[in-house]
Amino acid sequence: MVSLQQIPVTVLTGYLGAGKTTLLNRILTESHGQKVAVIINEFGEVGIDHQLVVGADEEIFEMNNGCICCRVRGDLIRIIGNLLRRRRGFDRLVIETTGLADPGPVVQTFFVDEDLRDRLLLDAVVTVVDAKHIQRHWESKEVQEQLAFADVILLNKTDLIPGAELELLSQRIQSMNALAKVYPTHYAGIDLGQILGVEAFSLDRALEIDPEFLHEHHHHHEEDINSVAFTELQPLDELKLNRWIGELLEVQGGDIFRFKGILNFAGQEERFVFQGVHMLFNGKRDRAWQPDEVRQSQLVFIGRNLDAQQLRDGFGQCLA
Amino acid sequence: MPSLSKGGGFRDRQVFAQLQEYITQVVCTDQGGAASSAAGEVICWRGSELHLLQSITEQPVDCLAFSADGQYLAAGCQDGRVRVWHDLDLVITIEADQWIEHLSWHSSRPELAFSSGHYVQVWDVAQDQVITTLDFVESSVLDLAWHPVGDRLAIAGYQGVKIWQDWDDDPHVLALPTSTQAIAWSPDGKYLALGNFDNTLVVMEWGNPDPWIMRGFPGKVRALTWSQIIKPATAPLIGCASAEGVVIWAKDKDGGWAGHLLEGHIEKVNAIAFQPASLRLASASDDGQICLWQKAKKLEQILPASPEAVTSLAWHKDYLLAGTSGGEVIKWSKSTQGFG
Repeated sequence: MVSLQQIPVTVLTGYLGAGKTTLLNRILTESHGQKVAVIINEFGEVGIDHQLVVGADEEIFEMNNGCICCRVRGDLIRIIGNLLRRRRGFDRLVIETTGLADPGPVVQTFFVDEDLRDRLLLDAVVTVVDAKHIQRHWESKEVQEQLAFADVILLNKTDLIPGAELELLSQRIQSMNALAKVYPTHYAGIDLGQILGVEAFSLDRALEIDPEFLHEHHHHHEEDINSVAFTELQPLDELKLNRWIGELLEVQGGDIFRFKGILNFAGQEERFVFQGVHMLFNGKRDRAWQPDEVRQSQLVFIGRNLDAQQLRDGFGQCLA
Repeated sequence: MPSLSKGGGFRDRQVFAQLQEYITQVVCTDQGGAASSAAGEVICWRGSELHLLQSITEQPVDCLAFSADGQYLAAGCQDGRVRVWHDLDLVITIEADQWIEHLSWHSSRPELAFSSGHYVQVWDVAQDQVITTLDFVESSVLDLAWHPVGDRLAIAGYQGVKIWQDWDDDPHVLALPTSTQAIAWSPDGKYLALGNFDNTLVVMEWGNPDPWIMRGFPGKVRALTWSQIIKPATAPLIGCASAEGVVIWAKDKDGGWAGHLLEGHIEKVNAIAFQPASLRLASASDDGQICLWQKAKKLEQILPASPEAVTSLAWHKDYLLAGTSGGEVIKWSKSTQGFG
């Protein structure tokens, strides 16, 4: 049944109390005419969030927790497989990875599992940050990973900190995750168009990298999490690049959270686009390079303790 | 398309019943059969007389099974209830707090095991009382199967399988670095096959500490079936559905297993079943096509089942049943003149 339309999925993450439930309620009440199914990955705080979710035309399903990839995959397939059987199905799925959970396993499942890949389209990872409290949680591994995986970051509760501080906070987060769009919000107040229908995981949209970031060479490197980006005008050797990426992910895949690239291979008329999480990625030949377009490769990694020089050297070996 | 051999001859197609939604399961006994839907419907029949046991509830029925003697029919539903019928009468309703996703009957006694979240309850249906509650612990239960002759109950999930023999003892654990989503005992009870997320099939021989691990599948191993017949191999054949492929494994004289791929499906294979007392295998895919394989090798017939996905298969001694995502229950019987 290849013709079936893929259902968009939003993964919602954030530290306890950051405002995820407020955002979820907004999605449920303001997604008019859409049937939204919500999966809550219960993790310790049983029931509390549940009661706060208002009733709309939605259904809520609880996962039996777990933060390990295979277990998450089992539960997601179980629940989503069941949901997909119903004729009066749903138009959108929101998966809330509650509280302390690392979004990695949920995101990886969409790369790994053939059933989910066929039927669902991972739209975006949305991370809600409590602008005041994050100051005390920078060290938290989960907070860092939630920021690193995000496509959209809501800096929520902006009323609680001065404007100058907010600006610094925003810059700091952007330096960790160069790919994410960061929006300051109050009561998670954001145009839902900014967080739904983002298609951040669609390969066609894989490369919307801020050119500012690509050309900037110095970033704060006090953070454990950082982003590294390159551009390269000289064409690449496909074989060499494949080998390099393969070895890189094998050794450092655990520390590389997200990566995206658009590549200019020697002898190819089309762009090659790819993106991935940890050791998993997918890629494809995209449209042909346009005559008026700068034929250049762009590559971005977001990860933990990434060595920009080492990555650049490795990449440099892949020139044709 | 591969060429077809002669024979097969399942030519009489009949839409046996039309339910409102996706058929979650079709099952057969010698006397008749039953089917359930994602709208909550349950039907059963003896001969050609059809009975509606449960009408639309909007709560999908996830699993359906007849007891070994065919006297009881149990259905597990997403409303958290297990309902058991006897002679068309609803005799027991068991309440749990989560979806009932899998159930299995004991091979001889009227005892029913069903899963709800990461727990499995075992009920004595004749006495209407719980016998035990087992906790899988590691995850939700992804499958369960009662041994075909003995008292062992195998439960699958994250990190493999646990097998209980005595409720008060710790289970026997077969630990794997993945999740097991489908399990099946061979009809003689000697082997347990495990279909896993990491694109492997594991076969455990009872009493042998070293299981076999079969690799090379195109996707996760989503469904399993054993042949009742042992010849020509030294053990029953295993049929596996994985992505668009059907793979048959046979035990050779040296004690290893050899696999061969059956090519014929273009889309994902959802269900496979060996015909009882035969090596004929039926496999059904997402594009509504059913393939019949002679001796688990040669494609003998393609049944154009439906424009929608075939979701479930079951063999009766006289016919093949298929359930579709559009709610059809389809029956194929052998046409008398076409046979041969």
